[in-house]
Amino acid sequence: MKTIGKSLSIEEVEVAPPKAREVRVKIVATGICGTDDHVLKGSFPNVDFPVIPGHEGAGIVESVGEGVTCVKPGDKVIPLCLPQCGECSFCLNPNTNCCLQTHLYQSQNLMPDKTSRFTCKGKQVYHFLWISTFSEYTVMPDSTVVRIDDAAPLDKVCLFGCGFPTGYGAAVNTAKVAPGSTCAVFGLGGVGLSVIMGCEASGASQIIGIDINKDKFATAKDLGATECINPQDFEKPIQEVLVEMTGHGVDYAFEAIGRVDTLTAALASCHRGSGVCVMVGEPPPGSQLSFDPMMLFTGLTLKGSILGGWKMKDSIPKLVTGYLQKKFKPDVLITHNLPFSEINEGFELLRAGKSIKNIFIDF
Amino acid sequence: NTVIKCKAAIAWEPKKPLSIEEVEVAPPKAHEVRIKIVATGICRTDEHVISGAMTTPFPILLGHEAAGVVESIGAGVTSVRPGDKVIPLFAPQCGECRSCRSSKGSLCIKNDLAAPCGLITDGTTRFTCRGKPVHHFLTTSTFTEYTVVDESAVVKIDAAAPLEKVCLISCGFSTGYGAAVRTAQVEPGSTCAVFGLGGVGLSTVMGCKAAGASRIIAVDINKDKFAKAKMLGATDFVNPQDYKKPVQEVLVEMTGGEGVDYSFEVIGHTETMMAALASCHMSCGTSVMVGVPPSASQITLDPMLLFTGRTWKGSVFGGWKSKESVPKLVADYMGNNINLDALITHTMPFDRINEGFDLLNQGKRLNSLFINLVCKYFPLNYPPNIEIGTYMQ
Repeated sequence: MKTIGKSLSIEEVEVAPPKAREVRVKIVATGICGTDDHVLKGSFPNVDFPVIPGHEGAGIVESVGEGVTCVKPGDKVIPLCLPQCGECSFCLNPNTNCCLQTHLYQSQNLMPDKTSRFTCKGKQVYHFLWISTFSEYTVMPDSTVVRIDDAAPLDKVCLFGCGFPTGYGAAVNTAKVAPGSTCAVFGLGGVGLSVIMGCEASGASQIIGIDINKDKFATAKDLGATECINPQDFEKPIQEVLVEMTGHGVDYAFEAIGRVDTLTAALASCHRGSGVCVMVGEPPPGSQLSFDPMMLFTGLTLKGSILGGWKMKDSIPKLVTGYLQKKFKPDVLITHNLPFSEINEGFELLRAGKSIKNIFIDF
Repeated sequence: NTVIKCKAAIAWEPKKPLSIEEVEVAPPKAHEVRIKIVATGICRTDEHVISGAMTTPFPILLGHEAAGVVESIGAGVTSVRPGDKVIPLFAPQCGECRSCRSSKGSLCIKNDLAAPCGLITDGTTRFTCRGKPVHHFLTTSTFTEYTVVDESAVVKIDAAAPLEKVCLISCGFSTGYGAAVRTAQVEPGSTCAVFGLGGVGLSTVMGCKAAGASRIIAVDINKDKFAKAKMLGATDFVNPQDYKKPVQEVLVEMTGGEGVDYSFEVIGHTETMMAALASCHMSCGTSVMVGVPPSASQITLDPMLLFTGRTWKGSVFGGWKSKESVPKLVADYMGNNINLDALITHTMPFDRINEGFDLLNQGKRLNSLFINLVCKYFPLNYPPNIEIGTYMQ
């Protein structure tokens, strides 16, 4: 399946066998993330068309190329939209998860040898973030695939490919939410709800969910939000509402939407002297963030967070194991299970705010 | 407790020199302390008020970096007594507010930094000049022979401490040094960049060195400042005016394409704040804003600079909890573990305070003229002659 314009076209593709250090994976389940929608709308940088999007999936290794040692045919795996090559200076640095092979540094539209493994109707089709999970079979470099527990239900753990670790890690790794603290989460999609789970797991005493769609409040509260507010219910700016609600601003604010206006609001809703604001949502290219630097000067911290700060190969299998031990419950995020043929309907549901996570199965 | 009449340097309006006049200093009320100032330095923040970059009410009694001796105390004061050597704290520590109760916070609710009102705790002032009330500055006001501060804004220090040196712990040294060791928590072996080599920037260089940084890149448009930076531990020197490309690109190249682990903006300009942010490692770099930004300014940047994982934080008074830390920093000085003397270059009598500001500003305007940090002070045995310190970049 590939993309032209705003909807996907389901077609037959030829998937070449994996070359050296590559792995061919049969995708069993894949979710849609807001980022995939950005691709369809043309607002994700450096995407070449036609492309097979999708980056939140789970599957089984079908075959491996020469030199692959980390997985073997039959292994259950999760493709990693953020690689961990293990060799670059960033992978060797314990304080970062931003492997140099990520799309921020080099194009992941073709395999490392600069060729594609996909053709459709005789034409080359590009990869997306090297993993392209909207395909029954896909090929990826071995730095972007990791083996997980054999007992893992693939139709659930595909969430561990992006949405859940991104949000949960923003709270537990990037912000390091402290017990008893107050948190505000802007945006109650799959990632924002995962942030709430992370804040709850960290022992936050107050977790305020913020969204303009009040239908999202019920799930947010199930997952630990102590209250939810809709900015459209207030005349004054939402940051003023939050400062009033907490007396002095929140200890941690998370922006899980990807807009600079809400990021500025999140920053302004933090406690002046010691608040931490985490930017989780990816802003559109070319956007500009503007704020009074006095906010930072008086002691606020502003940080970015990619994939929740997790070094992917090290962490994703452990998170999956934690799921099997019932340490977290991201299943709540799964609202729909549609057959793969209905993937465009899935995007419609996402855009209308009617789904959280739609997991596609039955290729 | 009576009113004291003494000499002070008043700022009647912005963009005018300070006027040395007689002021009346009221006795301390409950929970207040009246201090005889023995030594005071000039910090760029005082100059920001004069230039208008920092908005405060006028007339105002500036100065916030000083050391002195307690003259009298108001009812209920328990932490200091008359005769104690003390340092006034522009970043107070009441011990009760959320910031004081948090292990991370250093911005006590009693601060008057964000939108200065210039009044003491009960909403009035203790200073009058020519019959008019004069505002306080940042809970301290030290360009005067006597000042009154809230008990949360003063701390007792070692009785043997030389006040003409340790006045620098009241602001410049601690602000810069703490930005490195406390706010950024520079790790051994890391790379640092310090934008701005004034008193605070040089103190940041000292902090990075004390924390074991392997490389400290000093950045300034005045190359005459490099020699002292080198003496204090800087290993590389960059003058942005020597390059066509933006300074952040220069720094990223110098560090093998990765950027520094820690960058510090110690000037107070939004453009250099952005450059400092962009010079740190895109995924695990930390940039600390130390220089005070102009009032009501806006910083505008590409949010992708942050998205990749950078941390950006501000730092007031080096992140120190003031009452706890100032006496310890004084003890460090007494134990020869910190170098304040390197920052002191001039001493002048109080009457020449405006000359001190001129020296500060010349360091900015005349790139070829390097004026070192200056401290002027009031020797204890000359009570009627107030000497002030000029401390600048």
